[in-house]
Amino acid sequence: MSENKILFNTGSLDGLSEEIGKLINTEDSRLKLTPDNADSGLAKLVLTLVELIRKLVEKQAMRRVDGGSLTDDEIERLGETLMKLEMKMEELKKHFNLTDRDLNINLGPLGDLM
Amino acid sequence: MEKMIYAIVSVTRDTEKLNAFLSGIKGIAGADLYAVCFNEISAVVSDKERATLIADKSSAIEYAEVIELMAAHFTLLPMRFGSVMESSDLISKMLERNYIEIQNNIQKVENKCEFGLKVFCDAEKLHEELRRKSEETANATPRASLEIRNSVYVDYVNKKLKEHKLEELLLNYVDSVIAGISGYVDRLQAVNKFKKMTTALNIIDAVFLLEKDKKDALIHAVGELQNQHASLSFILTGPWPPYNFVDFIVK
Amino acid sequence: MHDNVIDRSKDITILELLDRVLNKGVILTGDIVISVADIDLIYVGVKLMLSSVETMERLKSGQAIVDMKIR
Repeated sequence: MSENKILFNTGSLDGLSEEIGKLINTEDSRLKLTPDNADSGLAKLVLTLVELIRKLVEKQAMRRVDGGSLTDDEIERLGETLMKLEMKMEELKKHFNLTDRDLNINLGPLGDLM
Repeated sequence: MEKMIYAIVSVTRDTEKLNAFLSGIKGIAGADLYAVCFNEISAVVSDKERATLIADKSSAIEYAEVIELMAAHFTLLPMRFGSVMESSDLISKMLERNYIEIQNNIQKVENKCEFGLKVFCDAEKLHEELRRKSEETANATPRASLEIRNSVYVDYVNKKLKEHKLEELLLNYVDSVIAGISGYVDRLQAVNKFKKMTTALNIIDAVFLLEKDKKDALIHAVGELQNQHASLSFILTGPWPPYNFVDFIVK
Repeated sequence: MHDNVIDRSKDITILELLDRVLNKGVILTGDIVISVADIDLIYVGVKLMLSSVETMERLKSGQAIVDMKIR
């Protein structure tokens, strides 16, 4: 591909190609389970869904806190629960050797799950 | 023999032109290209066994180059890399089954091409600016109760709340930039698609479908946008075959 | 233009191209395959299509008796 397709840009392109590279999903979008990785494969699938729900819950919780309808006690208990959920999630990720990047599913034309 | 499909083209009277064109170019690894037809729609294919298909960068580029060359002469629907079917017969049946949808999509992209616009920010600077603005408004309506208690859990909620608010501010900001972009491209009658916050730096990833001769007007519009948002960097690419505007799935 | 800038421009052009040809364009089949022990078991297709690989194969070869697509 000799043709340059950049029609407009200003300033330096340094670092941006790396950033654009992040957008491309060149990895196989298959979720592979084999005897060797049955544990982590299933864990990846399950934890991805759990993490999605945890984030949704956290987001909704912040909307409620921001809305100002919660009492101080409620906020404190909410904080305790969310913090423990996050810590538990970190533990599980560590246990199954998964990173945040692993906890996503490429849904093809629908984009990434998260 | 399995076939790799590069693109679907519509050639009402130009079957000969298509054949002549295909005999002049080569597919992946120098393979011959030919057309599998149903009525006036054709799939451009080359022989390729799925088992021997290597999904590496250079074959993907070769594949894209075939599509690119054809797009300069024909209205086409690009296929995704790796589209292999078992036989010519199955391909022509596939064209028949999807005839109407293919026709509709070809009509949609006729005489048009795709452009990509990516907008990048300096994350730290932008976050800092938005945070400063938000603190100004936050001071106006303090939530004192959250500050008084001294508990790790309340601190945690406060931290999360700050992140949440920054995220909302960022989204609002991105929406306002998108509204500005839409204002310009709508005047060019472009079809557009926007994705927000794809990475920390890439705040907008947009694609436009517009008539080929409006390229210069688009470049001009992006120049204006860049002037309005000096702290952001705009990168416009194109013209591309309409990869992002063939939204149908073959049955 | 400096060589450096030309290189970067080329990089970006190629990345944009790869993104399109690998992730966009007309799709022949569902995209996610859950395979167990290297045997493809479940396609999680686009538009919420969930079917077994066998059904998918039948769908692909046009012999499907029941269309499992939820549209």
